[in-house]
This record gives sequence, structure tokens and C-alpha cells, in this order.
Amino acid sequence: MSTALVALWGTMVGLDLVSVGQVMIARPLVAATVTGLILGDPLGGGMAGVVMELFALGVLPVGASRYPDYGLGAVAAAATVGGAPGALGIGIAVAVGLFVAYLGGEAMHLGRRLNALDLRQYARSLDAGDAKVLARVHLRGLGRDAIRSLAVTAVGLLLATLARWIVPNVGSAVLMSVAAIGAGLGVAAAGALQFAGRGRALRWFGLGLAAGSAWVWLA
Amino acid sequence: MGVARMKRGIMHSCARTMLVQASWNYDRMVGVGVGYAMEPLLRDLPGGAGGTAYTDSLGRASQFFNAHPYLTGIAVGAIARAEHDEIPPDHVRRLRGAMVGPLGSLGDKLFWAGTLPTASGIGLFVAAVVSPLVGGIVFFLLYNVAHLAMRVWGIGAGWRLGTHIARGLGAPVIQRGLRLAGPAAAVAIGVALPPVSAWLVQDLAGNAQVGVALVAVVGIALSRWIAPAFGGHRFGLAAVVTAFLLGFAWA
Repeated sequence: MSTALVALWGTMVGLDLVSVGQVMIARPLVAATVTGLILGDPLGGGMAGVVMELFALGVLPVGASRYPDYGLGAVAAAATVGGAPGALGIGIAVAVGLFVAYLGGEAMHLGRRLNALDLRQYARSLDAGDAKVLARVHLRGLGRDAIRSLAVTAVGLLLATLARWIVPNVGSAVLMSVAAIGAGLGVAAAGALQFAGRGRALRWFGLGLAAGSAWVWLA
Repeated sequence: MGVARMKRGIMHSCARTMLVQASWNYDRMVGVGVGYAMEPLLRDLPGGAGGTAYTDSLGRASQFFNAHPYLTGIAVGAIARAEHDEIPPDHVRRLRGAMVGPLGSLGDKLFWAGTLPTASGIGLFVAAVVSPLVGGIVFFLLYNVAHLAMRVWGIGAGWRLGTHIARGLGAPVIQRGLRLAGPAAAVAIGVALPPVSAWLVQDLAGNAQVGVALVAVVGIALSRWIAPAFGGHRFGLAAVVTAFLLGFAWA
């Protein structure tokens, strides 16, 4: 039952990335935490979501740029982390999550190429203002993205099951967690520097870092 | 068009803009989606749905277009209004072409480089100091207040201003948003990073925490200065695979 719910949630997450709404349930912080809730481990899912969110901060999804699908990656990461809670499992979960995110991004690129083929086939009717063809071409794109999202979620769940089985036998689990957390923090900081640029915003970033550090010191 | 019908058309089109990128492709980008979203607003053109004005307008509406998805409503409203005002087709095409750059750039600055990282930074901070569940909820609510307000305002402003839409894009609230977007994102991520780091490494031993810091420094240097094209995603994958292989070799 929970697997079916995660598959449904993953499909919604994949659709939200580009095709439907973009209300940001595809953001790892939301996608992974809800996956954790469904699987009965909201804290583990949330932790995976936080690390994947750090990676997502390094992406500026402008125009025709190609980027990983961190939402589907986060669903897979949260499904993996349940097997090994805390810092021990986060490295393997992020490894699965990053691979699935890459897969999701490539599948999205394929979908866009298929949309273009569809468009070329019906270009004459579209140019003539045929509303039925317009709706068909558009909604077929939506259907394609739903299939992509479900298929990538299914692959993610399969990899999560394999990873959960392997986790107890992986001697490098802690080392992988160190690498995953460090890489996520590095990517997020680099993303923030990119948003800040060289001007006034860079000072704001420094001020924010000082305030956050003070919070940690005082807490 | 009657006021009630017009309002219904705008609401219908606004709802359809939520699906505007469903058929995104490398040929016309978001063009087909814009045509699909605009269709309800064209039904009341002279001759009705299926009339010459309707089919001609719809044919133009689904040509190449690109903009930030949240701001496509502005274009949908403005172009539909221009068609209702019987602006010559060449002028409609020019209006359409003139909106591509500004609507893309404005949306990217306001949302992808402003609201999104700001809300994400706040959500991460709350996730680390309260709980990930509360962090996720805070992020979701904060982000969507701005997002949905822009969608609803955009299509209404487009319809109201038509070919004078540039006036709407120069509105003080948008200009203020553009000035605040970068600093807000920078400060939000800055505040979030230290507590998130502390929370994530709390179960790790001292030498492992030093390892996290070293990997982070390499990540910043690589992503920002040494090889920006390598990308954070590839760096992350390379780091965890290297760690796996090192652990395997040591075992």
C-alpha cells in the first residue's frame, strides 16, 4: 500500500517539476519529507530532503537549460534512507537520489524531444488554429510527463530496495555520508555566491552567514 | 464580451496557465501551452469559437513563445486583449516577440534567483532548528503566496493593459521585488547554512566533521571557480562514488 502511495506521490512530484503547477512539491524539502511520512519515517525522509535541497540550490532552471530532476531524486533518497537512519544511511540515500535525479533529467529531455516530434506532425493543423489538435498535442505532452514521472519513481523505488538490502554490508557508509553532506553544503554555498554576485548581495550573504553562525553558537 | 463571460474566460485561462509547460519542446518552447491557455479568451471573438477570427488568432497563439512559466499569464492576457481590440496580426506578432525577453528575464530574477532560494533558505533553517516537516510546510506556504499572487495578477494585468503591458511590468511592486530578490536570497541561504551544517553533522565524529568541511570547500572551489560547467550534481555523484570506492579499498 505504501509503495503504491509513494508511486502516486512520485508521479505528482515529477509532474510538478515542469508540467503541472510548479507549486514546488517537486522541491526536495517537500518531496522527501512527504515520502518519509508515507513510509513512516518523516525525520529520515526530511534529512534526505535537506541534503538533496542543498544540491537543488545549485540549479538555476532557466529557459531551455537541462537540469536533474531533484524532486524524483529526493523521493528515491527518502525511500532509501529508511533502511539506515541517521548519518549512516544518508550517503547511500543521496547516491541513489543523485542517480535518479540524473535519470529523471535525461527522461525529461527525451520527453521534450518527443513533444517536438508530435508538434512537427501536427504543425499544419496548429497553424490553422484547430483547437482540438492543440488540446491533443498539449495534453499528450502531459501524459508523456506522467509516464516519465511514474517510470522514474519506479526505478527509484527499485534502487532504494536494493540499496536498503546492501546498506548493512557497505563498509564505506560513513565515508559516503561525509562526502554527500560536504558536497551538498559546497554546492549550496556556491549557488548562494552565484545569486549574490560581486555586489551588495555578497555583503548580505556574509551578514547571513554571520547571523546563522551566531545562532549555532548561542543555541 | 460580457463582463461575466470575460471573468469566466480569464479564470479558465488562468487555470490553464498552470499546465502551460506540459508540451514544452525545443521547437516552439512554451508556444503550444500559451495557445492552449489563451483559447478560452478567444472564444468570444467575432464569429465565435470556430469563426475565422478565432482560428486565425489561435493559429498565431500557438507559435514559438518563451517566458517564465509564472509570467506567461501576462502574455496570454495581453495578446488575447490585442486580438479582441482587432490589432493588426503583424502588430500582435510584434507584441508577442517583444514580451519574450522581458517576461523570461523578469521571472528568472524574481522567482528562480529570488523567491525560490529565499523560501528554500527559510525552509532549510526551520527544518534544522524545528523539524524538516515544519520546514517543508513553511517553504511551501511562503513560496506559493508569491507564486499564486503573480499568476492571478499577471493574467488580469495582461487583459487590462493589452498592448500597454510594459506599464504593468514597470509597476513599483515589481521593481521593488527585483531590487530585493538577490539580497533576500543571499541572506536567507547565508543564515540557513550554519544551522543546517550543524544539524547534519551532529551524529558524526570530529574527524568526519572535518572531512565534511573539506569536501564542502572543494565543492565551492570547483563549482564557483575551477570548473563551473562540471555542475554540482556531477560533483555530488563523483564525491559519493569516490567515498564508496575508498571505503571498499580500505575494507
